[in-house]
Amino acid sequence: MSLSHEREDDLVQKLRENFPADIKETNIIRRGRLEVRVAPEKIKEVAVFLRDKLSFDHPNGVSAVDYNRENRFEIVYHISSMRIKEMRDLVLDLKESVPRNAPKVGSLVSVWSGVENYERESFEMFGIQFDGHPRLEKLFLTDNWDGPPPLRKDIRFPTD
Amino acid sequence: MSAPPKPVPLTTVESTETSDSGAQTLTLSVGPQHSGSGHMRLIVEVDGDIIVNVAPDPGYVHRGIEKIIELRNIIKSIPVIERPSIIDSSNLNHAWVRSIEEIQGVEVPRRGQYLRTLLNEMNRIMSHLYWLSIYGVFLGHTTMFMWPLGDRELFIDMAEKLTGARITYSYLVPGGVRRDLPPGFAEEAVKRTEYFEKRLKEYDRIFFNNPLFTSRAKGIGVLSKEKAIELGCTGPTLRGSGVDADLRKDEPYAAYPELDFEVSTRPDGDSFSRAMVHMDEMRESCKIIRQIVKKIPAGPIRRKAPIVLPRGVAYGRVESARGECSFYLIGEGGDKPYRARYITGSYRNMAAIPAVLLGNRLADMPTAWWSIDYWPVEADR
Repeated sequence: MSLSHEREDDLVQKLRENFPADIKETNIIRRGRLEVRVAPEKIKEVAVFLRDKLSFDHPNGVSAVDYNRENRFEIVYHISSMRIKEMRDLVLDLKESVPRNAPKVGSLVSVWSGVENYERESFEMFGIQFDGHPRLEKLFLTDNWDGPPPLRKDIRFPTD
Repeated sequence: MSAPPKPVPLTTVESTETSDSGAQTLTLSVGPQHSGSGHMRLIVEVDGDIIVNVAPDPGYVHRGIEKIIELRNIIKSIPVIERPSIIDSSNLNHAWVRSIEEIQGVEVPRRGQYLRTLLNEMNRIMSHLYWLSIYGVFLGHTTMFMWPLGDRELFIDMAEKLTGARITYSYLVPGGVRRDLPPGFAEEAVKRTEYFEKRLKEYDRIFFNNPLFTSRAKGIGVLSKEKAIELGCTGPTLRGSGVDADLRKDEPYAAYPELDFEVSTRPDGDSFSRAMVHMDEMRESCKIIRQIVKKIPAGPIRRKAPIVLPRGVAYGRVESARGECSFYLIGEGGDKPYRARYITGSYRNMAAIPAVLLGNRLADMPTAWWSIDYWPVEADR
C-alpha cells in the first residue's frame, strides 16, 4: 500500500480554496486519516460541500470530547465515502469546538441523516445542544436520569 | 420520514389516535423483554397492520463502557471491550488493540497478525451462526435454531484450544496475541471447516431454499443502496443493499492483504439479501481459515508493547461480524486513554431499523428487523 499523502493534500487544498477563512486547522494524521477543524457557524456549509462536491456520503459516527482544562467541547464527525471505492480507506474527521459553558451547535442531520443517533448520544452524555435536530431526546440513558451528563470529565464514578 | 411516535409507558398496547388522514392508528411497544434476543424496545405505530412509524428505544443494556475505559489501564480494558458482543469478542478486541498500536507505533509480527485473523474469522462464523439461530426462532423454524447453535460448537472448541476460553478470549493484546497455535490445530481446522461447509449446504436445503423462508423474506424490508449509505449502515446490512464495502478489502489490516477471499454482496436490499450475505460470508470465512493454517509464517507471535498510551490520536477500525467497529482514541501519555469513543456495527445499523420496517406488515417485522443483525448489547455498550 502506498504511503503517500497526495490524496489528503489535495482534499485539504480544495477545502482551503473554497473556505479560506473558515478552515481553522488541518492535520494529516497518516494516510487515510485527516482532521479538519472548522468554525462552528460554517460547519454546515463545509459539510454540504464535502457531501456534494467531494463525495463524502457516508457518516461513520460522531464523537464528542470534553477538554475541560481548555474549557471547551470538541465535536468530531467521522465521515467517509462509499461512492468512490478508492476513497473507502479514508476517514475525515470534521471538527468543531464549542465553549463548555454554552455548548450549542447546529445539527448536521439535514446533511447526513445517519448522524441523528450519534448527536442524540452527544446531547445526553455531554449536554451539547444540537440546533435543528429533529428529536433531541435521551437515547441510551433512562428516562428518569436527572443527573449531570455522565461522560463529562468532571463527573467521577468509583474506580478500582 | 414523519415525526417518530411519542414514547409510550412500559405496557403493551397504548392509545389509539386519529392521524391527519383520518385513519385510526395504534401505538405498540415491542420489547424491552426480548422477542428473540437482546433487550431493546421498538415503539411501533400501526395503521391496521401496516407499520407507519417506528422509533427504536435502546439503552436497556447500556453500561457506560466509554466511561469505564477512560478510568482504566488500556490492558485492563480489554475484557470490558469484549462484553458488548461476546459472540463477536475478538473483532471488537481487534479494533481496540489496533487503535492502541497505531498511537504507540508498534508493529505486530506476521505470525501474530495471522493468528489474529484466524480468531477473527472463527468469531465471524460463530457470530453469524448465533444470528442465524435467533433468526430461526424469530421465524418459528425450530431446526434452524438448533442446528446453528450446535454447529457453533465446532468453532468454539477450536477457539478454546487456541485461546483457553470459549467465548471471551482477551486473546489480542497490544503487540500481538497471547498464545501460539496448539499442536494439531491445522488438521483439526481443515477437518472442521470442511465438515461445516457440508452443513451449510444442508442449511440451504432446509431453510434458505425453503419457500417457508423465501416467501417471507424476499421483497420484505427493502433498504435501497442510497438510503443504506446515507444512514451510515455498515457490514452485511450495507452489502445486502449492493455496496461492496468491506474493510478487510478497503483498508486491509492484519493478514487480510495476503489472503484470497471474495466480498459478498446482493443487489436487492431485502431481508433475503441480507440473510444470504451472512451465509456467503461464512463460506468465505471457512476458506480464509484453511488458508491461514496453511500459510501461517513462523516467527514470534508478540512484540513487546508499552503499557502506556502516548500522546496522539487514532481512529482504528475493523470489519466485525456486524460491520465496522471503531475506536476514536485519544492518548495523553498515561496508561489510560483521555477519550475512547467506541462505535460498533450494531450502533451504526440502528438507523436502518425504521427504514426497513416502515410500510411493512406487523407480521413481517421479525423477518425484516432481525435480518439487520442488530445486537442490542453491542449497540448500547
